[in-house]
Amino acid sequence: MSPELLFQQALNGLSFGALLFILAAGLSLVFGMMDVVNLAHGAFYMLGAYVGLTVVQQTGSFWLALIVAPLALGLLGLVLEPLLLRRLRGHHLDQVLLTIGVSLVVVDLIGLTWGREVRSLALPPPFDGPVTLFGNAYPTYRLFVIGFGVALAAVIAVVYRRTRLGMLIRAGVGDAEMLGALGVDTNRLFAVTFAVGSALAGLAGVVAAPVFGLQPGMDVDGLIYSLIVVVVGGLGTLGGAVAGSALVGPADTFGKVLFQEFALALIFAIMALVLLFRPTGLLGRIRIGR
Amino acid sequence: MTDQRQLPKRGYTYRISRRQFLVASSAAALAACAPGTGTAPNAQTGAPATAAATAGKALKIGQLLPFTKVYAELGASMKRASDLYVKNAGGRLSSRPVTFIYEDDANDTPTALQKTQKFIDQDQVDLMMGVVPTPQAYGIRNVVDSAKMITIVTNAGGNFFSRQVPNCTPACFSKYTFRSSFSSYQISYPIGEYLSAKGLKEFFLCYSNYGFGTESAADFKTGLAKNGGLTTGTPVAPPLGNADFLPFVTQIKAQPTKNVYSFFSGADAIGYIRAWNQLGMNAAGYKMYGAGFLTEQDVLKEVKELANGATTSLFWGVELDNAENKTFVDSYKKEYNNLLPDVFAVQAWDGMKAVDEALKATGGDTTDKDRFIRALEDVKFKSPRGDFAFDKATHNPIQDIYIREVRTTGGQTVNVIIDKVAKVTDPGK
Repeated sequence: MSPELLFQQALNGLSFGALLFILAAGLSLVFGMMDVVNLAHGAFYMLGAYVGLTVVQQTGSFWLALIVAPLALGLLGLVLEPLLLRRLRGHHLDQVLLTIGVSLVVVDLIGLTWGREVRSLALPPPFDGPVTLFGNAYPTYRLFVIGFGVALAAVIAVVYRRTRLGMLIRAGVGDAEMLGALGVDTNRLFAVTFAVGSALAGLAGVVAAPVFGLQPGMDVDGLIYSLIVVVVGGLGTLGGAVAGSALVGPADTFGKVLFQEFALALIFAIMALVLLFRPTGLLGRIRIGR
Repeated sequence: MTDQRQLPKRGYTYRISRRQFLVASSAAALAACAPGTGTAPNAQTGAPATAAATAGKALKIGQLLPFTKVYAELGASMKRASDLYVKNAGGRLSSRPVTFIYEDDANDTPTALQKTQKFIDQDQVDLMMGVVPTPQAYGIRNVVDSAKMITIVTNAGGNFFSRQVPNCTPACFSKYTFRSSFSSYQISYPIGEYLSAKGLKEFFLCYSNYGFGTESAADFKTGLAKNGGLTTGTPVAPPLGNADFLPFVTQIKAQPTKNVYSFFSGADAIGYIRAWNQLGMNAAGYKMYGAGFLTEQDVLKEVKELANGATTSLFWGVELDNAENKTFVDSYKKEYNNLLPDVFAVQAWDGMKAVDEALKATGGDTTDKDRFIRALEDVKFKSPRGDFAFDKATHNPIQDIYIREVRTTGGQTVNVIIDKVAKVTDPGK
């Protein structure tokens, strides 16, 4: 591999990693707070992409879609948590099962509403052209994706560490019961967390749509990728999601072009290796069972 | 909730108002009077008494199609074409009212086998049609063969299905199976031979890494070699259903051969063509060639002018200029709210047409299997794709292959037909 090619593929890997981070952040947040692996995360990601598609078709503005889709998904999360998940609080496996049900319903409703054809989103201006990097054309949208991923991680980190909401979430991750005893409305906190997680899934749907496209089955792909990232990085921590996507993105990209025959298995091999040496993931903490 | 509270509710839902009753009964009366428009299987008044024993009896066709997962739209398209064919024929083929039984294969071979068994044992269908993914066609081959179930495959293009194969692994020709679509060979070999005859001798290969993709790339290579052409370097082969195509197109750009034979379809084709453009491949002198699915309508309506210049081969194109195609496209658009038919619709349509013609020859009889097979083998008709006939040795169509280039004219991006390779048949070995 020549240095130019190496550089280009590294950029490809980073932009893929950034997409994975945006996708996995919401799943990680919800798990950290509520101890629920939200298996409807992929369906929410898909719904976000299709809502984004409709907004782009109606208004022609990708940037508006980038605001509307997360809002819509956030609202859905805000409704679903008290309506369904709260009733099963404390029964983690039942909650996980419930999210599978939600995902099946959401995916079928998407099929009925938007059809089952393959769709895609055009690259939004001003990021629709290439830029020349070391004599080679490189798509600016990928650079935007890298920047967006980094910015999102920064925003989440600031909210997490510097705001009251972040403090409450951190406290909730530590011990939700104690937090409730101290007079915090944990029901509201859980609903807000779930809504933010859903909104992040919707955001990922819109950002990824110009790259991955929209089609039946994208919910499963999105869910698997985000699960892998979260498991590799360490469940339920922001740093884990960052580390997981920073490892999986480039490793998957280089692996796919260097070892084509193992392209599909490679990402799972990475996960297996990480789990073998660090069962809690790269930055995971050992959680004490409650 | 108590029982007492539920009871009055239940009574209410069964109540029908006088007006509803009048509307429903008069609609039923109208339907009963209208001659030959109903598709109801028990409307048998028009059957000629002279036909064979089964004539006039409902013709049951089991259609195995994907209605969920990634190929759902293909199944929907093929169902639309089949329903339209029967509707246009007045609900009957050769005096037999047609009943379709549709089953979802869920893109899963064990499910396909189960549903096939259901068609054979429970529904006791007269014919089977459908089958989209090649692994399913290979999977059900032995079952339909031993049950003597005449099956018309309307998509799955795997070469082995038409061929004499030692030990029949992974599949082989069966006298009970026909194919109204194509074999991989037919959409890949002719364009290889055609391009090398035009003086394009060197190609790089990039294909979806699964059965159909590897088969297509290999057949293309054989076609090239016919006129001394060859492929260069190590092929780039992304997995089926790949997410990000940028790394793979980056690899293509890092090698010197400018002509690239590409095999992708559906979502993969869209991702590939977008990545191709994002890296400015055309400006760097690279040119895209491929099997027709790379630039079919499902792809073109999403990528539009980004696909311009791509040259592909297929046995049909919506723009094909012949009377049958025009009638077919118009009729389909009229029935389905201006929706354009795709190649999968044509495959299903021709499958129905072949059954229709064979039924005419046997006077509506499907019980004498050998007779019906002979009738299918002798079928000849004008299809939207041109002349259609089955090759007796392979039960695969003999068809013209069109060489098409994607161009945008007047805001419409279409496959312009630039040439054709006449009467291509699968070699059968």
